[in-house]
Order: sequence, then C-alpha cells, then structure tokens
Amino acid sequence: MKRASRRRVTFYLLLMTAGTIFGCGKSSFLDKKPDTRLVVPTTLNDFQTLLDNQYIMQETPELGELSADNFYTTYGVWQGLVVKEQNAYLWAQNIYDGIGQVPDWDIPYQQVFYANVVLDGLIGITPDETNQVQWNTVKGTALFLRAYAFHNLSQVFAPLYDSATAASDNGIPLRLTSDVNKPSNRATVQATYNQILTDLQEAVGLLPAAVPTNNLNRPSKPAALALLARVCLSMRAYNLAGTYANNCLQLYNTLMKYDTVRFGKTFPIYNSNPETLYQSVMYRSSGLFVGGGLRSNLIIDSTLYASYVPGDLRKNVYYRTSNGLAYLKGSYNGSSFCFTGLATDEIYLIHAECAARVGDKDAALNDLNNLLQHRWADSVAFNPVTAANASDALDSVLVERRKELAFRGLRWSDLRRLNKELAKDTIYHGLNGQVHRLSPGSLNYVLPIPPDVLNMNKGMSDNPRVIPN
Amino acid sequence: MGSTKRIAFLLLLACLQRSISVYCQSSEPKVTLSEKNSSLEKVLTAIRRQTGITFFGESSWAQVAHKVTIFVKDMPYTEALAICFKDQPLRYEMVDGAISIHVMKTKDYVLKGYVLNEKQEPVPGAAVISKGIGKASTALTDELGGFSIFLGKQDTSIVVSSVSYETKEIPYSGQTEIKVEVKAKIVELAEASVVGPAHTGYQEVPKDRATGSYSQVPNAVIERRVSTSIMDRLDGVTSSLIFNKNVVPGVNQSIVTIRGRSTILGNPDPLIVVDNFPYSGNINNINPEDIESVTVLKDAAAASIWGAFSGNGVIVMTTKKGKYSQAKKWSFTTSLTVGEKPNLYYQPILSSKDYIEVERFLYDSGFYNARINDPRFLPLSPAVEILSANNNVQYKLDSLAKIDTRRDMNKYYYQPSVSQLYDLNFSGGGKNDHYFVSAGYNKDVSSLVRNQYNRVTINGSNTWSIVPKKLELSTDISYVNSVGWNNNNATLNVSYPYMKLADASGDALAIASDFRLSFVDTVGEGKLLDWHYRPLDDLRNANHKIKVADLRLNMGLRYNIRDGFSANLYYQYQHGTLDEKNFQNQQTFYTRDLINSFARDDNGNYVWAVPMGGIMDKLFNRYDANNLRLQLNYDHVFSPDHKLNALAGCELRDVEGRVDNTRLYGITPATPNGVAVDNTTYFYQFYTGNVAQIPNSELHYGTSDRFLSFYANAAYTFRQRYIVSASARRDESNLFGVEANQKGVPLWSAGAAWELSKEGFYNVSWLPFLKLRVTYGYNGNVDRSVSAYTTAQLSGFQNDYGEYYSTITNPPNPSLRWEKIGTFNVGLDFASKNNRLTGTLEYFFKNGKDLIGQTIMDPTSGVVSFTGNAANMTAQGFDLTLHTLNLKGRLKWSNDWLISYAQDKVTRYAVTQPSVTGYFQVNSLNPLVGHPLYSVYALKWKGLDHNSGDPLGDIDGKADTTYSTIFNAPVSSLVYKGPANPPFFGSWRNTFNWKQFELSFNIIFKLGYYFRRNSIQYYALYNGASRGNADYELRWQKPGDELITNVPSRPVKANPNRDDFYENSEVLIEKGDHVRLQDIRLSYDLFRRSHSRLPVQAVRFYLYANNIGILWRANHRSIDPDYINSMPNPRTLALGCKLEF
Repeated sequence: MKRASRRRVTFYLLLMTAGTIFGCGKSSFLDKKPDTRLVVPTTLNDFQTLLDNQYIMQETPELGELSADNFYTTYGVWQGLVVKEQNAYLWAQNIYDGIGQVPDWDIPYQQVFYANVVLDGLIGITPDETNQVQWNTVKGTALFLRAYAFHNLSQVFAPLYDSATAASDNGIPLRLTSDVNKPSNRATVQATYNQILTDLQEAVGLLPAAVPTNNLNRPSKPAALALLARVCLSMRAYNLAGTYANNCLQLYNTLMKYDTVRFGKTFPIYNSNPETLYQSVMYRSSGLFVGGGLRSNLIIDSTLYASYVPGDLRKNVYYRTSNGLAYLKGSYNGSSFCFTGLATDEIYLIHAECAARVGDKDAALNDLNNLLQHRWADSVAFNPVTAANASDALDSVLVERRKELAFRGLRWSDLRRLNKELAKDTIYHGLNGQVHRLSPGSLNYVLPIPPDVLNMNKGMSDNPRVIPN
Repeated sequence: MGSTKRIAFLLLLACLQRSISVYCQSSEPKVTLSEKNSSLEKVLTAIRRQTGITFFGESSWAQVAHKVTIFVKDMPYTEALAICFKDQPLRYEMVDGAISIHVMKTKDYVLKGYVLNEKQEPVPGAAVISKGIGKASTALTDELGGFSIFLGKQDTSIVVSSVSYETKEIPYSGQTEIKVEVKAKIVELAEASVVGPAHTGYQEVPKDRATGSYSQVPNAVIERRVSTSIMDRLDGVTSSLIFNKNVVPGVNQSIVTIRGRSTILGNPDPLIVVDNFPYSGNINNINPEDIESVTVLKDAAAASIWGAFSGNGVIVMTTKKGKYSQAKKWSFTTSLTVGEKPNLYYQPILSSKDYIEVERFLYDSGFYNARINDPRFLPLSPAVEILSANNNVQYKLDSLAKIDTRRDMNKYYYQPSVSQLYDLNFSGGGKNDHYFVSAGYNKDVSSLVRNQYNRVTINGSNTWSIVPKKLELSTDISYVNSVGWNNNNATLNVSYPYMKLADASGDALAIASDFRLSFVDTVGEGKLLDWHYRPLDDLRNANHKIKVADLRLNMGLRYNIRDGFSANLYYQYQHGTLDEKNFQNQQTFYTRDLINSFARDDNGNYVWAVPMGGIMDKLFNRYDANNLRLQLNYDHVFSPDHKLNALAGCELRDVEGRVDNTRLYGITPATPNGVAVDNTTYFYQFYTGNVAQIPNSELHYGTSDRFLSFYANAAYTFRQRYIVSASARRDESNLFGVEANQKGVPLWSAGAAWELSKEGFYNVSWLPFLKLRVTYGYNGNVDRSVSAYTTAQLSGFQNDYGEYYSTITNPPNPSLRWEKIGTFNVGLDFASKNNRLTGTLEYFFKNGKDLIGQTIMDPTSGVVSFTGNAANMTAQGFDLTLHTLNLKGRLKWSNDWLISYAQDKVTRYAVTQPSVTGYFQVNSLNPLVGHPLYSVYALKWKGLDHNSGDPLGDIDGKADTTYSTIFNAPVSSLVYKGPANPPFFGSWRNTFNWKQFELSFNIIFKLGYYFRRNSIQYYALYNGASRGNADYELRWQKPGDELITNVPSRPVKANPNRDDFYENSEVLIEKGDHVRLQDIRLSYDLFRRSHSRLPVQAVRFYLYANNIGILWRANHRSIDPDYINSMPNPRTLALGCKLEF
C-alpha cells in the first residue's frame, strides 16, 4: 500500500510540474516578439520611423517628365524603356498595353497608406504637455506627405483644375483610411484639391517653424507653405499662390551663390543644400536613369540648353556636353536622380510670377533678379532683367522658371496650366524618323489610370484619351 | 477482457493436449453418461462407478465447480473428463490412476531472466510470453535484457520474440531464473542493410509496427563515406532525399529536399533532429563519427509527430550510446583525405587572344573614347592602354595574349586540399549504468590557399539506472569548437583574362581596377595612400576568421510507473556562438581605397574622413535554446494478438537569438578598438565627386522562436499483422500580432498496415514477406514573417539622414492561417525467400493548401501585393528501395537501389507576372500555375538573321528582332521547357565482399530536368562585366553562318536586350540528365580471433575515392549539370583506418 501511494505521489508531482510549466506561463510565453525589430506601430516614435522611411516616402512620378519637353532621346535608348515609358514619350492613346503595377500610381498611394497608418494610429494617442510637440509634428508630417502624394498624383492622373468644371471632373481616389480592403472611387477634381488644401492648411499649424538642417526628408512649416504655393499655382489660383510663397519666404529665404558650388565635380550641388525645403526624388528605377543615370540616356532639348547665356552658371552646374550634345549632370540632391522636392528658388519664382500676374512688375523683377544674381558668375557682369510692363515681366519670369526648374518634375504641370492661357505650344518628339506631337489642350495631357487599378475597381472610369495626330 | 477469453484459450490448449494424449493411450476404459445440469461431483462419481478411477483434491473444488451437461456413449473416459472440465476453474492431473483436482490460481511462480544475443549483449524490448494452459502472461525486457514474468504450473514454456532476433521457445520446468540466448534474424544480409527501429525523436518505432514512411541510413552506410560534415554522408545513400545543386539566392530554395517541394514562401528546410530535439546550431558542427544512425521521416504518419515543423520532412540523427552490460570498448578512427586542385578551365571563358581581339575591335569603333577621355580616370584594361598609347601595339598585344590569368590563379590561389580526421571513443556499461565518450578532431586545409577549417568535438553520455527497472537517468554533454579561416574568396575585381598577378620573384603586381594605373601612379603627389590594387597582396594580408562554439546539454529521466506505463522527462539546453572577424588592415586595397576615396584635399593638406588604420568587421551571433518535454508512454502486450503502444506529451521550445554586427575604423596598435567616424555626413568622394556616407554595417537585433506543443500518438497491433496508428498534435508559436487562438494549428494523421504474408491464405513461397501500408494526414509549416496586424520592421540601418526608419512588412491579415500539407502515402514492403531481394515501394501524394503566397491588391490601397494563404501546390511521386543479394558464399555481391521520383506543381497562385520578363529573373521566385515551382522557361527561337547574325525571336509567328516587344509579350508566349530540379533521382550501390575485403561503389543519377547554359553576352563583355564565353569562337561571322551556328554575331554596339533574348532563348536550354560515379571504397578487415598476434581486437583499413566523375550526360558540351556556374568538386582520395580495442 505504501509503495503504491508513493507511486501515486510521484505521478501527481510529474503532472503538477507539467501543469505549472505548460499552463501558467503559456500566454506570456507566446507573447514574445519573434524579432526585436518588429513592431506593431503604436507610439509616436514608431510613427516617426515610418515617416522617416525615405526610400518609400521620397519618390515622385516620372510619367509627367517623360511626356514633357525638357529632353529627347535616341531610338536605341527609347527601345530600352518599358512599354508605358515608351508610350508616354509618344503620348500614345493607350500607354500601358495592359501592364499594371505602375509605380507612378503605386508609389504615391503607398505613401498615402503610410500616412494613413500614422493618422489612424494617432487617434489612439491623446497628447499631453510632454509629447504635444512631437504629436503635432508627426501629425503635420503625415498630413503633408499625404497631400504631397495626392498632389503628385493629380498632376498626372487628373485634369487641370478648372473652377468651372472641377465639381464634376474626375479627380483621383482619395484614400483617407489605412484599411486596405476599402474600395477605391475617384473623387471630383474639386474634392481632390479641397483635400490637399485642407491637409496642408492643417499641417501648417502643426509643423515646426524651422527648416531642419539635416533631416530634409521631414517637412517644416515653410515646406508646407511652399507646397501650398505650388498646389495653388497648379490650380492657377495665383493670388493665393503668391500669398503662400510670401509666407514661406518670410520664414525661410536662403539662396545659394552658384559661384560657391563645386561645378567641376560630377554632382556640383550636394544633397541637403541650403535652398532645399523638402527633399524628394523622381522615381529612381525609371528607365530614364538606366545605365548610369539621366546623363547618358537623355539629350537636353537644344533650345533649352541654348537659352542659358554666358555668365549663367546653371549651364555648367546642370549640364555637361559630349560630342556636341548636352546631358544632365546632376541635380539638387547630389546625384544623377532628378530632384523633385521643394526649394527656395521655386518659391521665389512662384512669388515673382504671381506678382507679375497681379501687375506688380517691380516686385516680380526684384525676386527674379535676386535669384539670377545667385546664379551668375562673379567674373561676368550681371545685367538685371528689365521689363516694360508686368506682362513682359511675366514672360521673363516664365522663361527663367523654365531654365531654373528644368528636370525638377514641374514642367508637365506647367505645360498643362500655361497651355490654358499664354502661348499655346505644340510639343514634338522625333523618333526613328517619325515626328510625334502633343497639341495644346489635348486630352492626352491627362494620363490614363493603370489597368490593374481599373480591373480591381470595376466601375472606376478611365481618363478619356485620343489617338495622337 | 476477460475471463471468458482466458478460459477459451485455456480450453483450446487443454483440448489439444488431451486429445493428443488420447491417441497415445490404448484400451482405455469407456464411459456412458447422461447428465443434464448436474454437479461435477455427481458426474465424477458416475465415472468412478463405471471405471473405478477415484478422484480427490483440495477441499474447495466442489464449491467452485460449475454444473455439467454431458451425453456420451462408450466414450474413452479421458475424453469425457475433458468435457467435464471444460470451462471449469479447475485443473486435474492423473496421479497413479486417480484424478487429482486443483483449483486454478492465476499464476504461481515468478520467473526472472535475461535475454542476450550471441555476443552476450542484452536484448532490450523483446517480448516474453508464457505458453501453456490458461492466460498467457507477458513481459518486455528492459534495457539490460532483463525480465520477470509470472508463470503457473500449467505453463510449459516461454516464447521470446523480438524484431531483430529469431523467435525462441524455451521449455519451462519450474526454475526461478533463466538465461535466454537469441540469434540475430537476418544473418545473410550484408551489414549495411540491417536496419533497427526507426527513431522519430519521440520514440523508437520497430519496423513491424510502422505504418508510416521512413528511410533509414544505418551506421555502416554513414561510415562508408569520409567527410567532415554529416550531411555529406547522406548524399546519394538516402532514399527520397536530394541535395539541390546550383542553388541561387533569392528563390527560397533549400540545400536538401525530401520528396519534392511543399511550400513556396515558407521555410523550405527539413527539420533536423539530433536525438530528442531539433538541432538549433549549424549542422556542420556535428561530428559524423558520433552518429549511430539516421532516420528520415517522410509521410504524415511518420513526420506528423513533429507537427508544424514537419512540412518538409524530418531528418532524425541518433548519436552513439553505450549499452548495459557491455564490455569496455575503445575505438579509434583516423583518415587522411587529399583532393585535387579544382579545374579552373572548366568554365569556357574567352581566350586572352579573343578577348584582346574584341577589345581591339571595340577600340577601332571608338567604343573606349568616352572612357579614355573621362575626367574621372575610369580604369582601362592593359590592352586598351596599349592601343591608346599606340606604340609598338602588335608586339605588346601579342605578348599580352600569351598570358592567362588562370595560370597565376592556379599557382597562387589554389593548392591540393588536405583533410585530416581523428576520432577516439570508448563505451561500456555495467549492470546499472552505461556510457559513451568521444573526442574528435578535424583539420581541413582547403584547396583555396590560406583557407582552413579546424574542429574539435567532445561528447560524453551516461545513463544510470537509479532504481533498477524503475528510474533511469541519462545525461549527455557535447561541445564543439571550430575555427575557420576564410581569407581567400578567389575573386578578382577585374574581368580581363590576361593579367599577371605576380612577377618572376613572386611579388604581387598591380592591376587597374577602380582607376587607370597612370592616375593611380601619380594621384595625391604621394600624400594619399598607395592606390594600387594588387590582388595577391590582398590575399596575403587577408585576416578573416570565423569561430564557432556550440554546447549541448541533455538530461533525460525515465520512470516506469506500472503496467506498461512510463513517463519521460527530457530537457535540453543548447548554446551556440558564431564569432566572425574580418580585419582588413591598412595594406588591403579595400581599406586604402576607402581612406583615399573619403580624403579631402584642403590646399595640399589631406583631411581624412576615414581614419588611418585597419577596418574590422565583427559579426557576432549567439543563440540559447531550451527544450523541455514531458511524455507518458504506454506499452503493453495484452496477448500475442493484442499490442498497444501509445504516447502523449507536451513540449516547450524556446530559441533566443541575437545578432550584433559592428564595424570599427582606424584600428592600429595604438587604437586596438578603433576610432569613431561620422557615418551620417555625406562626404565628397575623391575625384569622382560623388557624395557618399562612410559605410556602416551596424546591425543589432534579437530573435525569439517559441513553441508550445501537445501531441499524442498510438499504434495498435492485432494478431501481429494488422496495425492501425494515429497521431495528433497541436503547435502554438509566438506568431507576431496574431490573436492567441490563431497562434496554433492542430494536425493529425492516421495509418494502417497489413502484413499479408502472415495470413493463412498467403502462400507465395518466393515472397515470404509482404506488408502493405497506407497513411493519410497533415504536416504543417510556419511562415513566421506574416502577421495579422499591421506590422513594421525597424531597419537595422539608418536612412540618408542618420535616422532609423521602419518599413511596413505586412498590412493586417486577420484571416492568417498556418500552412497545411495533406499527405497520402501507400507502401509495400517485401522480402523474397532468403532475403535475396528485399525492398520497399511507396507512392505519395501531397496536397499543400493555404500555402503562403502573394496576392495582388488594388495598388490604390497602398499595398501592391499581400502575403497570405493564397497558394496551393501538389506533389506526387514514388520511392523504390531495393536490396538484392546477387551472390552468396565466398564472394558476396549485393546491390542497393534507391530510385525516387518527386514532382511538384503549383496549382494556385494569385500573381501572374505582367510579361514574360518576370519568369527570367534569376534571383526572384515567380511561380506559374500548372508548372513546378522551379521551372525552366524560354523564349521561342527563330535562328539567326541571314544578313546581320542577330538572334531572331518570335512575334506572332514571325521572326523579329524587336526584343523589347518580345520581353513585354504576355506570359502565354513563354515556352515551358521542364523542371529545373531533377524529379527523377537515385543511386545504385554495389558492394562486393571477399574474405576480409569489401569493395563498394556508388552511382548516382539525376534525370528529367533542364538547365540554361551560359553563352556569350556581348554587352557584359564590352563593359567589363564578364570574361565572355568561348562560344564567341562559334559566332556568326558572315551570311550563311546561321546554318551552322546559333551564336549571334559580334555587334558594333552591344544591346543588352539582344543578349538577354539570346540568353533566355530555347537554344541555350540543355537537358540536365546525367549519371555520375560518385565514389569507390575498398576496405580490409583484420580480427584478432583469426590473427592472434594482432595487438587490437579488430582493425579496418580503407581507401575511399570521391567525386570520381560523370559516366553519362545528356548534354554534349561537357557541362556537369550540378555545376553550371561554378567549378565541379575536385576528386579526393582518402586513406583511413579504424581500430577497435
């Protein structure tokens, strides 16, 4: 009997050990993270690290630049482009040939998704005095980035803002939640711009006033104002654009003397230069950059290249020549990739343009000459630009805008808007003995919605396109 | 269960016995009885009246006796007695003409004994069954071969049976102790094919109880090959296991595959178990000399005991152990392996002469002009320098053409490999303990100069029987320490094939790599560090060392509770570190180049952003693994007809890992720990003018793999020929961001086996053993990278602005499930008369559902594709293993055939690539529904253009050279050539024995697959990215050549699309089928029993030649399909000996 009971005791002891080991600690045992680097983003720091993912947040579309008139290319290089790049270059009616996964669409919407994850997450954090500043910065950044992405999309996939038709024109889908399963619908152009403006106005109130010295992937209040100026300009809301540009320059107005840049170097202007307000770059896997960057594939439009007069340092800073042809050297981010971010030179030009448009000739010329002086070689006498009237001044500002902001991803947007008012230009691309044209006001100024997006969202309407003449 | 059955059995025996005795006796008195429900006493009285035979007995017999009904006429009285005592709890004896009646007790005596084999070693696990009248008692022998069994007087003998030994019956005549010696069963078979029970890591499954599919590699086969790594020893000798060659990164391919592929993005590696637990360290740490046997668990019934780890099969390694009551044994093994230098001429690169011809052609076409005039001093090859200097060109080029870099490579980078192995072990055991201790040392001097691997392994295991037959404790400690030197990676930074690496006196020569030599000679006016690249100096200065240490502690407790119940408690702790240090001192090109690149010329004074001194890259990985298991076993033989074997348990597994990578700059004797550098600022690069940050390889993170599992498993054997088995298991893991109820997965299996040859109707005399097995069940797999919440991964690196950033790795996936692979297996085991032919044939079908795959999403959601349970795959195939004994007698000859077929097919996958290009990406996995996961696709080939020699593709049936259109064509224009991995593979091993000699050789074959061979790529050649391909000589040169060659012409301007089209076209697809003579082994044994003057018990000498060569291949280009892009493993020859004393 004794032995039997001892046996039973042993048995129960074993059972109890097992129970203790496997029962009690079970839930906490399995709660440990499989990798210390994994997070379910919930804290302000988590959100900041998402927004600091420059590799996702910094890229902007390329299709606009491909369809604009800053460069031309050879048949050989053109053949190496992917189908949509080839067709966008020729303004074909259908550019995708059924092939989806279009980065021009996908990347900005990925940025919107990141911003929405952060904005949705912020709802769960009630700020107090210890973290109010960080909370504001994170929210302002997310709003800025969402607006930046929406605006970039609208310049490619939505028609030009026209107050007469904006309430019925098809804009872009406005995704305002991180729920990936929600269907996408195109908002009107009016709603699109309303959203962009609302987000940015809110961001202006939240973002810090100082432009960061190093982290130029992080927006500041001047950057948000600069973006508001850019957005309003693209809407042809010139008064408002001028005001925002002015507000921005009040806070930050540094310009670089190009005499001080190292234009003997491959990339004369370095990343995070003092004119930069916010850093972004054109889609880096673009066919434009294959084979060592824009430098060798794309030939600068000869009229554009010729328009830089002696003494204008931009000719040597931006371009290099080989065998009599001009190629892009580097950009505002110290690389061969196109800088598409916000910088003070653009804001000066917006300010000047808007001044000229309201008839303030002197203010326009003042801004313009201030900028140009910074672009001039000390060794060559600088002759300030003069104008008989505001209209002449506007012409001069637009000419300099073209020259200053080439390959900044802005030309396509400018073409769309300027075609509506001043000289209506047809643009040409010659290829393999054939000339392709894009006439002003063409429906092809709005690029088609990617086929996979249309497939996934039955009922979404595509942008109307025509067979080019 | 009962008394009725027990009595029935007893009666059956009684009747038999009695009836036998009836026929032996003559002129027996006869009786006539007519009784209905009468008392036994009354009937016996009637018999006494008729025959005069009296009866007596214990007083109580009349009370316990049952009533009797008997109607007989003139029946011999003994038969009548048998009827009367039928079903009675009594037994009777004839004593001197009287009937003595006893009340039956269940059992009367205890018999204790031992079962030993011919070598007087204990035989554990043998069944001992009593034979006689009444209920059979049973017992199983313990570790020492001991047993104790209750017997009654009526028991006449005991029967001892065991899997590996012949059944033996010993008459019992009341003794209290007995020693039983049993004979090994299949004595005729060669040693190699004797297989013991299969080890699953949880239990031993004897072969006759198995329903599932196991491949076993016995010790003799493991010992056959000479190698440092245990995995090498399984190649070509393990059924259904294939070693994948030509594995490329980025496609989630494992080195070893069991029965084809059953996951896409999940973990593709089989689980490796050493003794009881998964092995957490690097499998190369295991000393093969310590491994006793290897079992591969293949189907659901075999592997599902490992649940969610078993989806890719399980390889269970069992280490050597001592045995109870075993004399002390010493064993010493040593071998020396010498290998040839690898064949540098295997890859057909462009000859120096042709390479220079190409360069001259390009030079003449102005190809190098931009480069020559580039202000960045881009490097030029010596030939181009000669051409541009334009001085005595022909003479200089001719002398250059005579140089072949491979000659210098062969001289300075390669050497014959030498590998030494020493292993000493001793084992033994007393009545209450046994032990095994071993020490091993390996020293492998690589065929790459300055590379070496040294390994020390120490292993000790002990088992104590603390309370004999009740409580057993076993402990195991093993420690591995290895040091590897990885100083030589045999790569040069340049592509031209005619560089000299050393001058006549062996001093390293400089070659142009990043800059032109003329620039490097003068740059910095002596203020910069020497900027020359001298490959040979780099080899001499390299200091790259990898230290690995691994400690494994095991503890096991076994407690026999009672009546076949026992409990096991196992615990294992494993701790491993990998300490890798790559020190690139200031003399190495990498360090000098980096320092110079970041130098800034401040008016003639150089400012260094990268400090002077060496650069140290440290990689430190460590892990700690804890495993704990509690298991209850039930083993019982109810009777020869009913056996039950069951276990249930729970286990806990926790592997905590840590990775710390650091880089230190400026290491000098004065600053051994380096100096801080600015990793965030963008510095201008010297001369190129690019900006860059100082490279930073800081990476720090921890991992944690935790599992909690519950399992149960049972097998029931009926009448020794019907077996059913079942298992169930639930695994839970710390899947991240998943609700607790989704952290686990339940998996189950069921199986049945039928030993046909034991049936009465079976009378195929030439095939005396035939067993049919069938199983079905689920294996599982985990992909721990997916999660149900929005999860982000923090980068180990900083962004351009010096901030750590994170990436959303997964959008929320609330319906996430674990991968499940349904597996059906049917097998046939057979053995011919005298085991001349034994083997197994199995067919399997696997159906993987809910596999983790990619799904396309509306990109507007911000997520282009989504990783979830979105893919299905199937796989099917068969395994045939055959062992034939072709010759017996003085010369023995046996064959081992392993033939496997396994082919998988993707049956559902949500993402189809937008164009054919997606299926030619080398380093990404893009499955296509309807084809194997790894497939070879190609583009249609329409020959070469008559006028230009351009390769012609197919657009709408017409020959065309618009390559961009061809690449952008829809997937339907893809040509599927076949699987990229051999579906058909196996080996054929021949073994000859004559006297003490044994000769064996192994032939391996791989069939039914395709590969893409290399050919000339002009764009890469022109731009210095490739050394070209000797196919260049066969190129199209003039119209008409298109009839005799498929190699495109040499274009003036290379077009990468043209190269890509040719590279991916049908003409470069080759059949991979080949047959290889893997190895030959010759051994000679000497024993003291035949050579009394031998100082040791036994000695074996052996000679082993490996990687002998290809016997047949389908391709006609001398390509070894196992080595498409690399050099084949050189032949090696090993000489070894094994001493036993």
